[in-house]
Amino acid sequence: MFDKIAGRALVPVGIVVTGFLIVCFLLLYSAIKTVVVQDSVGHANNLAGIVLKSTRYAMLKSDRELNSAIVQNISQQKGVEHVRIFSKTGIVAFSSNAGEVNRQVDKKAEGCILCHAKNEPITTLGNMEKARTFKNSVGEDVLAITTPIYNEPECSEAACHVHPSTQKVLGTLDIGLSQDATLNSLSSIRGQMALFSVLTLILTMAGVIALLKMIVLQPMRKLQEYTERSELNSSLEHPSNLPYELDKIAKSYYFIRNKLEEVEQKAANTGKHL
Amino acid sequence: MERADNNRSVTAGDTASDTRATQRQGLLDEIKGLRHFSNRGLFALSLFLVVSTLAWRNFPYLPRPEAIVASLGPPPTSQIISMVLILYTFSAIILSLCRMMASIRHRSSFCHVGYLSVFYFFYYLADGLADNYWAVFGAGFTILLMESYRIWTYCNEGIIKKTEQLAYLERTGRLPLDDSPSDI
Repeated sequence: MFDKIAGRALVPVGIVVTGFLIVCFLLLYSAIKTVVVQDSVGHANNLAGIVLKSTRYAMLKSDRELNSAIVQNISQQKGVEHVRIFSKTGIVAFSSNAGEVNRQVDKKAEGCILCHAKNEPITTLGNMEKARTFKNSVGEDVLAITTPIYNEPECSEAACHVHPSTQKVLGTLDIGLSQDATLNSLSSIRGQMALFSVLTLILTMAGVIALLKMIVLQPMRKLQEYTERSELNSSLEHPSNLPYELDKIAKSYYFIRNKLEEVEQKAANTGKHL
Repeated sequence: MERADNNRSVTAGDTASDTRATQRQGLLDEIKGLRHFSNRGLFALSLFLVVSTLAWRNFPYLPRPEAIVASLGPPPTSQIISMVLILYTFSAIILSLCRMMASIRHRSSFCHVGYLSVFYFFYYLADGLADNYWAVFGAGFTILLMESYRIWTYCNEGIIKKTEQLAYLERTGRLPLDDSPSDI
């Protein structure tokens, strides 16, 4: 394989093009995935904000029935996996799953530990820090957002159920969204990129092989055939339309062949005279 | 007088024989050296596979990234590391191709293992190793395979040339005039 020009020329080109294309594909896909996941987390945060705004009036009025109805209605929306509202002490106050209500949540559980890792819980989190991903009981990927419900003047000054103004966080909203749509989009992007990369690779290799064959290999074969045939027929003309370098070799070979022929004839004539 | 001339010719013959033996041994040593050098790319590739295995296991012998970040400060983001990785891969491939064209003897393979390990380490610190592991692995494998091929072809050509020189030396008792031993 490495004895022939084609093998020697195509192996490095193949390694370089394939390797660089794979690296670019992987890095580009990783960058796209990061952007898509960040976008998805942004949307989930917006949705969490909408849920908080929707339940705000019912919370101010301490209307449990209205709150439960809002939570149930939102959880019926396609793509919403679960909606839960926890009290400050970690008890589930409202949930899309009725069986969870009034249950205590472990503060060391995933999604809680981020703020409750130290004695004094963290009260402010960035968008990406509020998000966590996990697989639910049926094995589907879920993106969950845990966002604190902050104390506001209306809450601390309300007549119905007063929270002290020193209490910064009143509870937590936990909303889980199915990742199916995001993963499908990523899978589609991955497939299209892989197809594009394979096509580019095939085109590049085909282009290199075609050019190599046209510019180098075919003229080399012509030259090789000429040298082989001229061993049998010394009057054979050298091939035309060769590239400059090969044409020089062919002409030199033709010249040497003619000189040799002359010398052989002279030697034969001298032999005859003697 | 005649005996002195005979002694002189014997001494000259011995010296020529010694020179020939020295040149022969020199060529054999060079062929041996080239054979040894031709494996350099594969050794580097093997070392890279060991580093990649450690990176795949999330560097079990290193402290946690949080501890390193706490003492050294925050690392660059994954996007910046990825951009540098593309630039590095491109430059390394171009350099390797240039060295191949110019037939330069260069021992660069093990440096690349070091650079690639640094990329693994930075991704580890930036919490992006899981997403970008295969990109670093692909880059490393391509660069080191290219370097192995370059070194292997370079050594192969050198070995062929030295073997021809050795055959010429055995046949004629001297090295070819146009080929100096330091060519390769």
